[in-house]
Amino acid sequence: MGTEPAHTVTRYDQELDRLRGMVARMGGLVERQTAQAIAAVVDQNEEAALEPPELDVEVDALEREAEALAIRILALRAPMAVDLRLIIAVLKITGDLERIGDYASSIARRALKVEPLDGAMSFSALRSMGRLVQENLHKAIDAMACNDSERAMEVWNADTAVDELYTAMFRELVTYMMEDPRKIGPCIHLLFVAKNLERIGDHATNIAERVYYAVTGEMLPAVRPRGGAARKGAQL
Amino acid sequence: MNGEAASGTMQAGASGTPQVDEAARPLAIQVRNLDFYYGKTRALHNISLDFPERSVTGMIGPSGCGKSTLLRILNRMYDLYPGQRATGEVLYDGQNILAPGVDLNLLRSRIGMVFQKPTPFPMSIYDNIAFGIRLHERVSRSEMDGRVEDALRRVALWAEVKDRLQASATAMSGGQQQRLCIARTIATRPEIILLDEPTSALDPVSTARIEELLDELKGDFTIAIVTHNMQQAARCADQVAFFYLGELVEVDSTARMFTTPRESRTQDYITGRFG
Repeated sequence: MGTEPAHTVTRYDQELDRLRGMVARMGGLVERQTAQAIAAVVDQNEEAALEPPELDVEVDALEREAEALAIRILALRAPMAVDLRLIIAVLKITGDLERIGDYASSIARRALKVEPLDGAMSFSALRSMGRLVQENLHKAIDAMACNDSERAMEVWNADTAVDELYTAMFRELVTYMMEDPRKIGPCIHLLFVAKNLERIGDHATNIAERVYYAVTGEMLPAVRPRGGAARKGAQL
Repeated sequence: MNGEAASGTMQAGASGTPQVDEAARPLAIQVRNLDFYYGKTRALHNISLDFPERSVTGMIGPSGCGKSTLLRILNRMYDLYPGQRATGEVLYDGQNILAPGVDLNLLRSRIGMVFQKPTPFPMSIYDNIAFGIRLHERVSRSEMDGRVEDALRRVALWAEVKDRLQASATAMSGGQQQRLCIARTIATRPEIILLDEPTSALDPVSTARIEELLDELKGDFTIAIVTHNMQQAARCADQVAFFYLGELVEVDSTARMFTTPRESRTQDYITGRFG
């Protein structure tokens, strides 16, 4: 993928390049949204909190544009093999990216409603989680741009750590809320932020799966490694 | 890799759903280490390919890749031309049909062929079908009527022509003529039907009819179809073989071939990247 010889029909290549370009641009924007959303929370940065919802408009528009082009290519070019897999992957990846943008915006909107809890571990846990999620998202987008199935595999395997951090945060916050009902408000916001970050991690994993499929033609197993505790311990 | 691919078991398709396991079907024809020469020019190189019973094998590849040549070997059509010879084995019904002493008339009645251009005989619709039957069998008038009707029904032509069976076949439309040719082929009750680009001269509606017909016929016949139309191979075939420069590059289940071919040459061809 990406290293194949050119199509006999030049315009076909141009269309595929345009499509790849759109997804790459979406990836860049969504990474920025996620970074700013995390900064808005952990640094209580008001300016950073404004950016993700603003960028979301462009992300949504790009998703629609990429979808329209992908449908057009499907209809007019009848893509096969590696081209077909690319188009399918793009259709799904743009959906994942759009969702990540939504979660980032949602985090940014809550950013200033959370407050650091005295003596709580949660803010530093959130920082670690944010770092991990950003790293995974970056790797997934990188894997996509470079058609790198090994890198995609790394992302696929790395999400467990995020899930475990989320479970730990969940337990901690529940304890705080039981101890002091006045903290329920900020704790809930914090919990939603953590949940949204965890979801972003899941979508990064999805992107990795699509990239893996597009490059190799093989589907990764339906069940990916998960923090088992995350599923058992953190039922909302 | 030819032999290995042809006899290997098909794995689950790219979709993860199990595909029809073509390799598990009994084989109608086994081609083994086949070479073919037009005079001194070697047109096929060591081809080994299995044709599973009652399924459609699609043969694709650029012009001159040898796919039509292989088709013409399967019923020894090449015998009609001097200077052409085949070596290797084509096993059909336990017999190597390339061996001397094979009854070619009998062979061609069991392995029928339909060509790119419809080739109705310049006679009535009825006689076009009766002609082939008479060559091989002695049947009564009433039985012949039944056989003609049956063949025409099977190709969904009966309703269109039943009131003008004595009209000339050459007055029919191209699509009708091609269906008549298929009816003529199946009237002699062959086991295998070879089709060489049977729809390349037809409009999309007639093409769809022929494709629908193939889908129905494969319940009773083994079908091999050569086509330049990739979508047609994707729509009709259970397994697809890709030929290039006289070699069999790859053979696999259709779903796998068009989503995840193993060979880069196959991929380049089916995605339209051939230089």
